[in-house]
Amino acid sequence: MKRVLGWFIVAVVVAVIFWRFPLFRVVSLQEAAAAKATKTFNATEFAEGFWNTRLMQSLERAVSAEKLLTGIRNNPADAKKNFGRTLGVSESYTFFVAGHGRVVAANEDEVQLVVSEGATEAEVSLQVGLLFNSAVRDGTGLLNVSDYPNSQDFNAISEALNRIIEERVQPPLREQAQVGRIVRFVGCAEVNHEETDLKPLKIVPIQASVE
Amino acid sequence: MKMPSREILLRFQSLLALVGMILFLSWHEPNFLTLANWQNILLQISVNLCLSIGMTLIILTGGIDLSVGAILGLSGAVAAGVLKNGLALPALGVQLQFTPFGAVIAGIVVGLVLGWFNGIAITRFRLPPFVATLGMLSIGRGLTMLWTNGFPITGLGATFGFIGAGFWLGVPTAIWISALLVVVFYVVAKHSVLGRYIYAVGGSERAASFSGVNTNRVKVWVYTLGGGLAAVGGLILTARLDAADPKAGLGYELDSIAAVVIGGTSLSGGRGSICGTVLGCLIIGVLNNGLVLLEVSPFWQQVIKGLVIIAAVALDKAGTKKE
Repeated sequence: MKRVLGWFIVAVVVAVIFWRFPLFRVVSLQEAAAAKATKTFNATEFAEGFWNTRLMQSLERAVSAEKLLTGIRNNPADAKKNFGRTLGVSESYTFFVAGHGRVVAANEDEVQLVVSEGATEAEVSLQVGLLFNSAVRDGTGLLNVSDYPNSQDFNAISEALNRIIEERVQPPLREQAQVGRIVRFVGCAEVNHEETDLKPLKIVPIQASVE
Repeated sequence: MKMPSREILLRFQSLLALVGMILFLSWHEPNFLTLANWQNILLQISVNLCLSIGMTLIILTGGIDLSVGAILGLSGAVAAGVLKNGLALPALGVQLQFTPFGAVIAGIVVGLVLGWFNGIAITRFRLPPFVATLGMLSIGRGLTMLWTNGFPITGLGATFGFIGAGFWLGVPTAIWISALLVVVFYVVAKHSVLGRYIYAVGGSERAASFSGVNTNRVKVWVYTLGGGLAAVGGLILTARLDAADPKAGLGYELDSIAAVVIGGTSLSGGRGSICGTVLGCLIIGVLNNGLVLLEVSPFWQQVIKGLVIIAAVALDKAGTKKE
């Protein structure tokens, strides 16, 4: 009898706790799906808005390609310090760069340009193939990882921006860039390995026009 | 009666080792004895302490649990999953949207159930603890991968995060939780019927059985508690990282066994204490912290930790032989 009473008291205490602090809320599956849809971060929509409003209005902030290339030639460490941007503790860094140059070579993946007066070897390589890096997301400094609840959303933004570039910027550039023509560009470069990524500087174009 | 110095050395080996390490590191590293560093050490050991308390009870009965790391990972993942995504019940056309409190309870229940399965496998099916819990390690890891699809579950919110990253009276919540568990299980081990039965089963299962102790029930209780405590460790870790990593807790069982052994609990059961385990966790925590402060390579850190464990077991054996 004493034991039953003991268990009864425990059950009442547990019931009161769970009533006061409920474990869960029951919702219909439709209601849950609707709530999830509004809560889910839509990277494509975000990237579209970011592209049209913030990114296009910040292009003039890009450093001149000639200035950057001179800096890299003279002292890559100083160029990184003065013009580069690093995300968190990453060893990679990015540049936001604008300029114009003459096409010296072009294929399905890249358009190579000379930017400096008298240069004969390609100094810049505009990326016109599939994009996998986060140069545009990180290079402009407009997006901060700590503003997003998780890294998956932040990575999704980069993918969505790359898709916009692949659809809108790269096709006309790939088509019109022929050897000898002048290309005006604004873009971002991500440097992971200084030996390979600085010479030529691999730039993901955000805006490009061929003259 | 005066105790011989050799006996004092053997009896207080863990405490002496800890004091020796603290003195050396305080002299060598000015940053070691700061409040921030000690808070960091206690925070680092809080998860291992949860696992090690359960492991102490299990080893005291003469058993071992290799699945605590896997249970930790699954419990954290389940709590994070039900909190973030809810639990859909298509047959009823409803979804259960868990509160942070509900997610904590769900995680602990998962740990208790897996621990209970360990106990049942060991007592009913007469499997050696090593084999039963090794199987559970694999089951737990597989279930975690199935539950998470191999991806971390992130963004769990501030309320849940309070367990691992919050502060109360200026001290991290994780330290409060592990300290509370130490006190509760010290009382259980030293001053409760279950505690006496645990020592009795570990000392001599046959004698305990003849004395009327239901040894199987004691073992099931101990493994169930071990699972529950591993789940608490999983919740602290998940809350601290604000993410449930499918690989969380990998290798934690070894750290936990090491802390228990270094703390003086005999691997053959029947001898040891929760206080010793706290010392063992502190020794591992201080050792890890000290090696980092001394800028010792992570590879050497593993070697040194292994040597410390071997030395602790050797000293334990020497003590047992003497007795």
